[in-house]
Amino acid sequence: MERCCELHPWLGDRDRLNELPDVAVVGPHAPDIRGHDPLSSLPGEYDHEQIQYPDNQGSEFLRKFHSGGHEGFEVAWNEAQQPHMPPNFQQRDNPSLFSTFDQIYDGVNAPVSRWEGPPQNILSGFLHQFVHSNQAGIPFCPATLPVMGLSQRDKHCIRDRSSIMARHFFADKSDDYINAQVNALLHSLEIDNDLQARGPPHRRFPELKQYWNESQGAAKFEAPHAEDRWVAEYDQFRPAEGPESWANSFEQQYGVDSWASQFEQEQSQVSSLGRMTGRNISNIAAMEQTRMLAETLAQNEDPKFQNSKFLQFVSKMSRGELIVDNNQVKPAVPSQSSGWVEEFDQQHNNNINSWADQFAGELPHTENAWIREFANEQQQRGNTEDQWVNEFSKLHLQDWGDEFHDQMSKGAFGDGPTDHWADEYDKFLEESLGPVQKPSGSSSGIYVFASQNPYVGHPNPLKEGQELFRNGLLSEAVLALEAEVLKNPDNAEGWRLLGIANAENDDDQQAIASMIRARDADPTNLEVLLALGVSHTNELEQAAALKYLRGWLQHHSKYGTLIPPGEPDVLVHADVAGYFNEAARMAPEDADVHIVLGVLYNLSREFDKAIASFQKALKLKPHDYSLWNKLGATQANSVQSADAIYAYQQALDLKPNYVRAWANMGISFANQGLYDKSISYYVRALSMNPKAENAWQYLRISLGCASRYDMLNACDTRNLDALQKEFPL
Amino acid sequence: MGSSSLKSAALMEQMKLHLASDAGKQLTKKIGLVYQMNIAPKKIGVDEEVYVVDLKKGEVTKGPYVGKPDVTFSFKDDDFMAVALGKMNPQIAFIRGAMKIKGSLSAAQKFTPDIFPKPSKL
Repeated sequence: MERCCELHPWLGDRDRLNELPDVAVVGPHAPDIRGHDPLSSLPGEYDHEQIQYPDNQGSEFLRKFHSGGHEGFEVAWNEAQQPHMPPNFQQRDNPSLFSTFDQIYDGVNAPVSRWEGPPQNILSGFLHQFVHSNQAGIPFCPATLPVMGLSQRDKHCIRDRSSIMARHFFADKSDDYINAQVNALLHSLEIDNDLQARGPPHRRFPELKQYWNESQGAAKFEAPHAEDRWVAEYDQFRPAEGPESWANSFEQQYGVDSWASQFEQEQSQVSSLGRMTGRNISNIAAMEQTRMLAETLAQNEDPKFQNSKFLQFVSKMSRGELIVDNNQVKPAVPSQSSGWVEEFDQQHNNNINSWADQFAGELPHTENAWIREFANEQQQRGNTEDQWVNEFSKLHLQDWGDEFHDQMSKGAFGDGPTDHWADEYDKFLEESLGPVQKPSGSSSGIYVFASQNPYVGHPNPLKEGQELFRNGLLSEAVLALEAEVLKNPDNAEGWRLLGIANAENDDDQQAIASMIRARDADPTNLEVLLALGVSHTNELEQAAALKYLRGWLQHHSKYGTLIPPGEPDVLVHADVAGYFNEAARMAPEDADVHIVLGVLYNLSREFDKAIASFQKALKLKPHDYSLWNKLGATQANSVQSADAIYAYQQALDLKPNYVRAWANMGISFANQGLYDKSISYYVRALSMNPKAENAWQYLRISLGCASRYDMLNACDTRNLDALQKEFPL
Repeated sequence: MGSSSLKSAALMEQMKLHLASDAGKQLTKKIGLVYQMNIAPKKIGVDEEVYVVDLKKGEVTKGPYVGKPDVTFSFKDDDFMAVALGKMNPQIAFIRGAMKIKGSLSAAQKFTPDIFPKPSKL
């Protein structure tokens, strides 16, 4: 209701806008924003000429709004609403214009009209309006909403998701425009979008995290030469003054109290419970306490921090794997009983706040067991690294690595509890590196669901997911489809689309995992078999890829007979390629056969043939964006980067939010040594899918090669805001 | 090389093409060392395939180096991929024993993830 009246004054009398206090008519920004419009390929399109005015006006509006004068904005807004007429009662001096707006009106009106009712309804309506603002092609207008009572967590969630979503909606728009859109949304919900709020979502131990980042980050910035990097990074591990330096410097820098006082606060909540009910509760309380601590610490994504023994210990406590009982840590560390765990336990049973005091009091002293452990290990590392550095001067050392390993296994880290710690440390290191390594390892085939999914409980997540996918909102579509397959685990279509969305979102591991489920549900689905073949090809897993591509032909109604019956023991690439060439002779006009052939030739690294096959397929299917990307990737892998960039550009023109193509662009530039350029493309891909692990790793390499050591920290902490600001596209 | 089932083999193949490009020639100029890679499918030292990444001449060949390479690395297939693609940092690989080094350590320091081209995805 409000919405239509907001629009019509602009339409009916464009000149009036000149009179508005804070609004200028179509500024120089207009061409930038409109530019080319790949959204025209989406369903529900209409002639953009017709709605150009309001769009331009609106963005100007928002720009002004963004650049400061909020009051001015409101005044303008209210004035624009003044001629309060019913929607169908306008002077229709331009009927076609109005029909367009009726369309828009129909699209956006429903949610707008319900700013009453329970907060959830208002919120969901409002967020829907945000989503629809994309389809309508008009900027999103802020509104005054009733107080929602959103929690901090909700706000973070909305802020993060809306900024990712906006990058999908407006993939073709400038960053300013996108930011204005997001700001308009967030402002209405009274969510801050400044960097401060975007920072670490946890506030409990910021100083600890900061200290860690500083201590870990410093050397990286100071080592501009590749040769120095190793040594520099090694030096970080070496204690500067001695084993206590870690604890001391921590204390010096931040004081004992700031950390401890944080603890006290948390403690007071939990310990009152523990005091009342004795030991069992005390364990539970300890778990709860450590869980909070672990959660906070785990937010720091620096692998070195993640691997620290302290965090490991805390996590184990919080998972209940270590139990504090009778002043012993059970089951795993009997000899560790006199450690800080005992302190922890005692304090827990005895009184309220003193654990934190105790902790603080002991921080500077080396008697404290875990600090000693930590220091011990630092020293050990220090020693071995000294060796390492010493060896550099000799330059011709044989098998030094073996030596290092012998040392490790002979218990250079000490005996008893320390030994145990060393093992645990190694194990933990392995665990925490596991998932990072996996992408290059064999595909685990286990789908990892998002921990928080707003679509769980949605009445029809499949439909929602299809809709989101069609609109190019890949990250959102993934969530909706995850909700679908959680609800209907045997829905082949849900799994298949989830796989495709994941692949387009540049996550082959998840794509493979979902496609395997799709195949289990429907073993003969050709699209699923092809997708599996492609994903395994990307992961360089020859045998698996070959199996699925052969399966594609086998289950094809037309070409199935080309394959001799029975499963061969060993698949030979040449045989499979032979069957497909036969199929291509049978049906030269079948684009799909050429596509599979192209993938097959990628597998055997016969790139010229692969390129020829994809080009044939493109003649038959010129609007297939994924096909353009396949051509580009093949060209890139055979070092024809200029051609590849052209092909990716075609793909992105057809689908502006195709994360994989953005990431591939980055790879192409990086492989040509154009690291500066590659950075912006990686950042763009990541802004649409922060879960694209490969892109993070490649971004880090490019930052190093482009000597942008100042931004490495932003990369390591995954601070997308800072990266986007620094590297706009 | 096409017959190998190692993922590293595919990357080596790409490296070979890469070294012929301008960026690859820059690399040769910058590093000028010979690396030999012994890559095992599952366990270091077992069923290794040997590749030579010659950043002096700018070529990749299969089989042991004739003469003395500056450094010889030993890897498992997955670990080599992880290091070459920037998933695992070489120091960590070394500390964990995922990468063994024989030869000049100063030459080993120049072995960084950025020397390998990154595969693009279909």
